[in-house]
Formats: sequence, structure tokens, C-alpha cells
Amino acid sequence: MITYIKDLVSGSWALLKGMRITMINFWRPKVTEQYPENRETKLQNMCERFRGELVMPHNEKNEHKCTGCGICQMNCPNHTIKVITRQETTEEGKTKKVLDKYMYDLGSCTFCGLCTQVCPQKAISWLPNFEHAVFTRSKLEKQLNRPGSKMAEKKVVAPAAPKKEGGEGEPKVQ
Amino acid sequence: MLELDKLVALIQTFLSDNIQIEWLVKLIEYVLIGVCFLALYAVLALILILLERKICAYFQCRLGPTRVGPWGLIQPIADMVKILLKEIIRIDKTDKILFKVAPFIVIMGSFCTFGALQFGKGVGGVDFNVGLFYMIAISSLGVVGILLAGWASNNKYTLIGAMRSGAQLVSYELSAGIALLTMVVLSGSLQLSDIIEGQAKAWYIFQAPIPALIAFVIYLIAGHAETNRGPFDLPEAESELTAGYHTEYSGIQFGFFYLAEYLNMFIIAAIATMVFLGGYQPFQINADWAEGFNNIMAYIPTWAWFFGKVFGLVLLSLWVRWTFPRLRIDQLLKLEWKILMPISLVNLLFMTVWVLIFD
Amino acid sequence: MEKIQEYIHKLAPKAQFEEGGKYTTAIVEANDLRKVAAGLKEKGFDYLMCLTGMDNQDSFGVIYHISSSKEKKEVIVLKTNTTNREEPTIPTVSDIWEIANYYEREAYDFYGIIFVGHPDMRRLFLREDWVGYPFRKDFVADESINPIPTKVPEPDDYETVPSYTINKDGKLERKVKSLFENKDCIVNIGPQHPSTHGVLHLRTKLEGEIIKKIDPQFGYIHRGIEKMCESMTYPQMLYLTERLDYLCGTMNRHALCMCVEKAAGIEVPARAQYIRTIFDELTRIASHLIGWACMCNDMGSITAFIYGMRDREKIMDIYEETAGGRLMVNYYVVGGVAQDIHPNFVNRVKEFIPYMRKMLKEYHILFTGNPIAAGRMKDSGFLTKEQAVALGVTGPSGRASGWSCDVRKIEPYAAYDKVKFDEITYNEMMSKGGNDYGRDNVLLGGTFARYMVRLVEIEESLRIIEQLIDNIPEGDFRAKVPAIIKLPAGEYYQRVENARGDFSVYIKSTGDKNPYRVKFRSPCLSLVTALDPMCRDQKIADLIMISGSLDYVIPCIDR
Repeated sequence: MITYIKDLVSGSWALLKGMRITMINFWRPKVTEQYPENRETKLQNMCERFRGELVMPHNEKNEHKCTGCGICQMNCPNHTIKVITRQETTEEGKTKKVLDKYMYDLGSCTFCGLCTQVCPQKAISWLPNFEHAVFTRSKLEKQLNRPGSKMAEKKVVAPAAPKKEGGEGEPKVQ
Repeated sequence: MLELDKLVALIQTFLSDNIQIEWLVKLIEYVLIGVCFLALYAVLALILILLERKICAYFQCRLGPTRVGPWGLIQPIADMVKILLKEIIRIDKTDKILFKVAPFIVIMGSFCTFGALQFGKGVGGVDFNVGLFYMIAISSLGVVGILLAGWASNNKYTLIGAMRSGAQLVSYELSAGIALLTMVVLSGSLQLSDIIEGQAKAWYIFQAPIPALIAFVIYLIAGHAETNRGPFDLPEAESELTAGYHTEYSGIQFGFFYLAEYLNMFIIAAIATMVFLGGYQPFQINADWAEGFNNIMAYIPTWAWFFGKVFGLVLLSLWVRWTFPRLRIDQLLKLEWKILMPISLVNLLFMTVWVLIFD
Repeated sequence: MEKIQEYIHKLAPKAQFEEGGKYTTAIVEANDLRKVAAGLKEKGFDYLMCLTGMDNQDSFGVIYHISSSKEKKEVIVLKTNTTNREEPTIPTVSDIWEIANYYEREAYDFYGIIFVGHPDMRRLFLREDWVGYPFRKDFVADESINPIPTKVPEPDDYETVPSYTINKDGKLERKVKSLFENKDCIVNIGPQHPSTHGVLHLRTKLEGEIIKKIDPQFGYIHRGIEKMCESMTYPQMLYLTERLDYLCGTMNRHALCMCVEKAAGIEVPARAQYIRTIFDELTRIASHLIGWACMCNDMGSITAFIYGMRDREKIMDIYEETAGGRLMVNYYVVGGVAQDIHPNFVNRVKEFIPYMRKMLKEYHILFTGNPIAAGRMKDSGFLTKEQAVALGVTGPSGRASGWSCDVRKIEPYAAYDKVKFDEITYNEMMSKGGNDYGRDNVLLGGTFARYMVRLVEIEESLRIIEQLIDNIPEGDFRAKVPAIIKLPAGEYYQRVENARGDFSVYIKSTGDKNPYRVKFRSPCLSLVTALDPMCRDQKIADLIMISGSLDYVIPCIDR
């Protein structure tokens, strides 16, 4: 009988303590994201490392850094990237492989980040953008190089000093 | 001041002055009352749904519906429209008639109870000498509907849900009934208006503090269990039985179950209010110095008192619902038969002794 | 080591031994297998860690990784081969190690190896009407052979259980019996059900509310990840590991990274080791939070579920800032981590630790101390230590049964040998003061024990992070790795402790840039197989709770 009453009292007390916790949480600030309303702040505060979408940065002269080597395409586990190149003759008469189209299918991308890790030119990068919804799947297939863009010329290295140590050949993009 | 009974009287005199035929007046009055109740029923359901969604969200650190209307105020209307527009899916191997009848029985059970509630001074459908008894009887009609729904759906989940529901309601009906009986001992009447008038000076919960409080708590627990809401929501325990007895229902048929569940919550709170918390009676302090206070309290219209108390109890029920995990069937029965039932029996005896000594 | 070799040699004189591997490796003939297996079991090797099927071109092989619950560091690798490809048979060991029951079904499913004497030779993942065995190297993946099914299979297809024996003439004999009887009341829990935590199908035989038998059916989310890995390079494979057990993606990835690094001889910088350890522990907390939250939800406390998710979100934010991903973190790479930690990382983790401790207290008050929850948890779902070992139930669930099976202690990896932490077994959990709430109710191997072990492990993980977070050494976060990683020919095995138990990776390489065979040991498969013994004669409401307390993740099982 005594244990019966004791259990009853302690049980009810524990229940009340639980109710106290929910009441405390009732008055705590709420965690719901008010998405379309806070869209501006949300987009501004996105972590810069967030892998939202693959992009190819262009500089103000509409130049990118991609040489069309295709390493990213080789490394992509899902065949999301297609690098289409064409042959072009330079002024000196040499034929050179240049990027024609850099096709990226957002719909099949797994955001593993291998492409950006392996790119020797750092020509592609991630944009922290999360609004990917479109109405047709074909809209997810994107061409990353802008029309009319060309590869940024590397800093012309004087022929007298053929080899320079380190990655100084970086163009001034970004 | 803002009392509704004057409005009721006004309508009655207006009708009987203009229409001399007595039965026609009666008919019009009945229809009017019916329409009022239907409207009240629907509006209350909407308010309760919104309340539940908002309160539950706040307990869970969320905001709840915010999209439809300011602060999501129109959300329940959108919900209702959705439910009305949804297709009623016909299932091949159900018991056709019972399947269709079940939701009506459930909603009838709660709607009939509505008729006997006293919403304010002189505002209520019927007020007859076995009002409380009628309420207890008619509100347990719902379980028949639930059993039928579970059986007619021809589905194992629904059947288990319905059987659990049967066991649960039959057991909890007992202690809820005894808790009310305890109060009948104090009031000496089964008529609801008598019970409420008896609390004009002080609510019953203050008139016989100890036994009435115990009965009040027991009634709240048992009543909460009768509404099939968490932590007593075994019949529809969504984690094991998907949706329990109403798994196979869709559209407005599901809506009926949904409505009945919410309104039952209101009805249980209303009965508790009428029997324990003085119904529409304002809060009064029985002392000379508190006269001013009493006058201020009495100034607030009676229906406001009624709804205020009822929604207070509904909030309590929501708080409980969103805090506790679900009981298991054996725990549920243990709680009833080993804890609530013996305590309420002893309490009934206690109350009788109390009444004999103090009255 | 020598002793065991001698012992095996005595049991099977024809046994050969491979040198140079991490573990003692013995190749035995199929006829000697049962003798050796039984002998090893007698010696205390009672834990069948992993069973891998293998296509040896001219025959099929099976590789058993066996360990012991007492001598935890000892691992023995047994290998055996079939004699031909046409009718590949190997004697079963399912009566010696219980878990082999399911592992052998998997090998049968993938390679068509018939385990003679196995009581239940159904396919594990694929449909019964699937033509061919997909992991064979000569399997043709053609849609005309295996079209997308349009009709519901006949009950006979999945209700009958075949078994094979060898009769006197040496011929294989097929026997069929039915799984359930006609009058049994069978409730299908899943594949579409609110609380199976994924697409798992439990065929449950009920008597009223009481469960009499459970037959789990897997494969609804089988993607053939192991097969996919065979055509990928090692860095490419990495992203698939996070899709196994998506709640502890980083740990799975850690296993594969370590396996490749050790095989290729890549030295991982200390900084990366520390970062990896912190990330692993954060993942463990996140995973346990989900486990706790889902278990509460299974028991009907939706509010607790939201609280768990709310606090896990804080970890996800920390991930996002440093690694750029939330659920699929994609942070570890072969040789280290992809990027250095974000400048805010240390501060945010430091803010998180006291917050989490405070929240843990609330969890205990809200749920652990609740008499309804405690009453439900205390008397259900018991798993003895022997059962846990036999079924390979590792991780928090195994430890709640009193089996200390923490790989972080057995084979310390990353920075785990540099920190002080306790392995939270049942006894350890009971001696920690933080669980006064339901202490009298916590019984060995019960649901409550599993629940409490998880919550105490969160505290322990916080302790590990606290020790590491201020001491991340300076230096490189990634070692130099060759552009194309080729593993030297051989077999590699790496275990890690993920949030659900012993997750291991087996790689067989032929020296190519693609692996020849990859096998992931899923801790969740054993957890589900333990459901049947645990739930017998319990109520159906408890089935959901027990499965919540086991905290399995279906994609990890189905792979």
C-alpha cells in the first residue's frame, strides 16, 4: 500500500516535471525557418563552402580558366559532366584544344566534389545556391561556360626563362 | 449586459407574436437551434484545429501554420476545404453499409452530447432532469462507430485499433462515470442547470476541496482517454497501426472522425467545466471584503466564463497530449483498473462522508 | 597466432596459410570447412564478423572473418572455394554462427553459391523470380532478361522456403517447406509503414497483440553499391559509402578511406586524423540524437522527436560550414580531408558542447524519467550477451547486452588512441551517474539499456571532442596522394565503429585502379535479424519500440 502511494506520487511528479520541460520550450525562441520571407538573409548567410551548384567563374573579360583537359569528366562518378572540346588553330599556326561546351547535369550530380578537387586549373567551383527547383528536367542541364567566352591567357612567360618554379602562371581571375 | 439569454428570449417573443400557430413556432425554433448548433459545431472544430496546430508547434519549438492568412488563421478552413474536395475512396472488400454508417455514428455521438451543454445562463439545447446521465450515455455511443469502422474496413490494422478502442473506452467510461457520480452526490441533482446553479456561490471544486479535486483529476484523465488522444491514442497509434481504425477512410468520411475527435475534446472539457468548475458561473469569493471583486467577475458575461474555462481545460489537454509518450495496452488497463478505478471508488465513499458531515 | 595455425592445421591437414595479411588467413577445402568452423567456435571464436562471397573466375569462394568476444583483437580469416561454377556448393555454418543464416543467403543471392544444409535458402535482397546472380563477373545486366515486374508475385514465390541437402548419391536435393501456416494471422509491417525507418518489410505473425514470429524481407532499397564499386576508382567509390548508412556517413567513409590509405601506404597527417576523429564523434552524436528522437516518436512522443531533430540541426550547421555538405558531408578523402577546417569551426563546436549537455538533461527529464516510457522500456526486448554475439549485434545495442565490442578500443584508429574515453557497456553505463532517472528499471540487454547506452554515449562523445578540439595539431590536412590510386594486389579489411556497430570494408584488389571486389559489413543487418528472437511473445506496440531502440538504417542493410 505504501509503495503503491509512493509510486503514484513519484510517477505523477515525474510526469509534471516532463510537462515543465515542454512548457519551458513553449516560451523558447522558435527554430522554424520562414523561408521565402527570409530568402535574402538566407542567401547572404549561406556558408561559402556549401556545395549547391557547379559553376565556372568568369572574369570581367568573359574569360574562364578551363583548358578542356577532361579530368573532371573522368573523375565524375555519375557522368554528370561532359566536356566538349574543339580544335582551334592559333595565330602561330599551332592547333590547340579549346573548350567548346562544358555541360553539367545538375539533376544527376551527387555533389561529391571530386571535380573541383581534381581540377588542375581550379577552373570550376561551387556556388552556395540551394534553389534548384525547375519545371522540366532539361532545364537542369546547364552549359557552364558562357557563350563567347574563351580561356584566360596565361601570363606570357619570357622564353629566356622557360621554367619557373611554383604555380606562378595563375591568371588574375578572381 | 452581453447575456445571450435575452437574445434567446427576444427571438422567442418575436416568433410567437408574429406567428400565431404554436406548432409552427416550435418548428422554426427547433430548426433555428439546430442550425445554431451546426454552425457552432463547425466553428468550434475550426478553432480547435487551429489551436491544436499552433499550440503543438509552440511546444515543439516550431511556428506552426503561418502561410494561410495572417499567422495561419485561415489554415483550418483550408484544411476543411481540402478534406471536402478529396475523393472518397471506395474499397473493394469492405462491408459496404457498415463502412459508410460508421463515421455518422461517431459524429452523431458527439453532436448529440452537444445538445445538452449549457453554454451560458439560459443558453442551451435541452435541459432535462437526467442531463448528466444522458451525456455520459450518449457520448459513449461513439465507440460503436469506432468498432464498426474497424470491423467494416476489413483490415488487420483497423481491427486491432478498433478492439483496442473498445477495451479502452469501456474501461475508462467507468471511472469517468464514478467521478461524475461523486459530484452528483455533492450536488444532489442530475439536471445540469441545477448542478450549475448550485455553484453560484462557489464552484464545487472549492465547496468540497479534497474529494472534488481528486474526482476532477480522475475525470480529466479518464475523459482524456475517452477522446482517444495521446497519450491514450492507442486505437490510432500511428507508429504501429498506421492510423488505427480510420486507416481506410478518406475525404469527408475521415473528416467526420477527425471532427468528432476534436469536438469530443471540447465536450469532455465542457462537462468537466459544468460539473467541477461552475459551468458559466463566474469566479466568486465568498467573503464580505471581496464584494467589488465579485461584481467585476459577475460583469463578465456567462458564456465568456463558460468558453474561457473550457478552453483552459482544452489547453491543459493539449499540453498533456504533446508531452507524453503513448501507453501500451497493458499499461493503459493497469492505469484504469489498478489506479483510477479504486481511487475513484474510495473517493465516492469519501465524498459521501464529506457531504454527510458538512451539509 | 602460431597456435591457431597449428590448431587449424590439426583440424584440417590440407589447410594452407597465407602470409603477409593483417590477420591469420587460412584456406580450407569446402569439405573441411565445418570441422574447422566448429573447432574455432569451440576455441572461443564465436563472432562471425563478415562473410564475403567471391567470384574466383573458375570457382566461387567464401571468405569468413571470424573474431572472438573474449580475445577481441584476434581475427581469423577463413577462405574456402567451391569445386566448380556449375553447381557451386559449400556446407553451411549457419548452425555454428547464427548470423551466417542471413550472410549465406546474401552470398546465395549474389553469387548463387548453395549452402548445403542451410534451413532457409531464399534470396535475401533480390526477388525470387530474378534470373541470374548479379555479382558474378559473367552476369549480363540486360533488361530483357530481368524486365521490370508488372504483376504481383504469387504467394508461393515468397512463402516457400527451399533448403538443400546432399543425398546418398552425392546429388543435390531441394526440399521446400512453407514459412507460415494457412491459419496464421500475418500482418505486414512495411514496406510502406510510418515507423519501419525506411523500406523494410516485416512479416509478423500475430496472436491478438502478441508477436509469434517475424520474418524480415530486405532489398527494397538494394542499389547494388558493392557491384557499382567494382567499376569505379577508389576516390569515386567514396561518395557511395555515405549512401549506405546515411546517418553516419562520415564514419563509413572513414572506413573506406583508411582501408585504401593503409593498402596504398599513405600516411595521413596528424591534423587530418584529429579532424576526422572530431567529425566522427559529431556524427555519432547526430546519429544517436536521431536514434533517440525516432525511438521517442515510435513511442508516440512527437515533441521529443522534434527536440532531437532541432539539436541535430546544430551539428548539421557545423558540418555545412566546414565541409560544405549537411547529410552527405563528403569531407574525407583518401589521404586526409578535403578542406581545412573553417575558422569558426572550433568556436562553434565549443559552443555546442555545453548546449548539448544542457539538452541531454532535458531529455532525461522529459523522456527517461517519464513513468510511461520507463514502464514500457524496462520489461521488453531482451537480448542476452550470447545471442548478441551469435547474431553479431554490435555497437550500442551489443554493448547494452554487456558485450564490449567497441572497435575504437579494439583496433584504435585515427586519434582514438590519444584520447581518454570509456567504452559504454551496460556496466559502464550503470556506473556513470547521469542516468539516475530510470536506474532501477534498466535491466541488462533490455530496451531501456539500449536507450540509456545511446544517451550516455553522447556524453562520452562530447568528452572525446572536448579533449581534441583545443589540440588540433598544425600541419597539412591532406597527404600527397597520386592522381590515380592503385592498390597493390591483395585483400584489405578495415573496421571502424560507426554509430550502429562494427562497420567494416573488405577490398580485394588485383593491382588495378578499380577494386575486384568490395564488401561492406553492415552492422544494421544483424540488428534486424535480432528482431525475431527479441520480439517473440512481446506486444506489437513493442516491436516498433524495440526496432527504434536498435536504431537500424535500411539502406545500410540493403546496400
